[in-house]
Amino acid sequence: MPNGEHQTALEPHHGAGRYVAVWVALCALTVGTLLASRLSLGPPWHLLVALAIAAAKAGLVALFFMHLWDQPGVNRLVFATSLVFVALLIGLVLLDSATRFPLANPPNERTLRFEPPSFETHVQPGEREQGEPGAIGRPPARE
Amino acid sequence: MPELTARAAPPLAHHFVDMRQQTEAARLGMWLFLASEVLLFTGLFTAYSIYRYLYAGVFEEASRKGVELWAGTTNTFVLITSSLTVALAIHFARLGRGKLAAALLGVSLLLGCAFLGIKAIEYANHFHEGQLPGKFYTFAEVQGPGASMFFTLYFIMTGLHGLHVIAGMTVLAVMAVRAWREEFGPEHYAPIEIAGLYWHLVDLIWIFLYPLLYLI
Repeated sequence: MPNGEHQTALEPHHGAGRYVAVWVALCALTVGTLLASRLSLGPPWHLLVALAIAAAKAGLVALFFMHLWDQPGVNRLVFATSLVFVALLIGLVLLDSATRFPLANPPNERTLRFEPPSFETHVQPGEREQGEPGAIGRPPARE
Repeated sequence: MPELTARAAPPLAHHFVDMRQQTEAARLGMWLFLASEVLLFTGLFTAYSIYRYLYAGVFEEASRKGVELWAGTTNTFVLITSSLTVALAIHFARLGRGKLAAALLGVSLLLGCAFLGIKAIEYANHFHEGQLPGKFYTFAEVQGPGASMFFTLYFIMTGLHGLHVIAGMTVLAVMAVRAWREEFGPEHYAPIEIAGLYWHLVDLIWIFLYPLLYLI
């Protein structure tokens, strides 16, 4: 190893074979995700499988090509923190969309098929006993 | 390695104790920048998630009929291979074999050109077929709400990624010249390693764009 004579070699320097092995694994995973997408799995699974394979490939690139495996320390923390914010942003925004009253989302496949709500669907729980069903949330009647 | 002994002492800025500290500081700075890049793309991935949630059926149809699977798959292999050549270039630059490192970076640049060329063919097809954002959308095979939004997101995400490819190729070209001049060695290799980090991030983002735009 030519840098053996230098005392300031920063960290263990692995051979080129490891990069080729990672490249083979990345190619195999790409073929895998291509084949999995042709299987027509069910609605949640095709997306989950594709994203899991993409995450595995990204992990290989980050750990070996980007040397996070060899270089301990704060770089890992920085990258992991950015991933936490990715999960927060996408996760919370999706939760927001998924838990909205349908008509609060912009017009889409589901809302365009949405039957106009009848008068009764606006009745809140327990409201009927108070005399005027459907009053909560309805704009005041104009004379 | 005759070049090793002939090389001048690596540049050490006076505010660092030694090369090790300087290299680690440079790496940390680059990782912080890469984190901000990740968050830049996260904004677009979030927009994609919302519209895919709202228009799941149309997005799948547009992905099946509107984009060329062969192009996306080929580009994935092209970018993965370019990442390999960049990683090998850094490896050989550290061993003091600057000419070989420069040649490997040259291969990476050619692969980057191939990526952009395939992307250009795809863009030309999209323009021809009217698969365009907003009111310019005239693709008859996929209609309905959300169809043009798929291509709005497609163009923004692949376009921003393409800009990153161009920026990364510029940086790699500079590093190829510096490696050819035998500037790097076992102690001084932070510039080429950091340029490699940027290129790997470009690859990383494509790894997620490929299934989301071409495979779903």
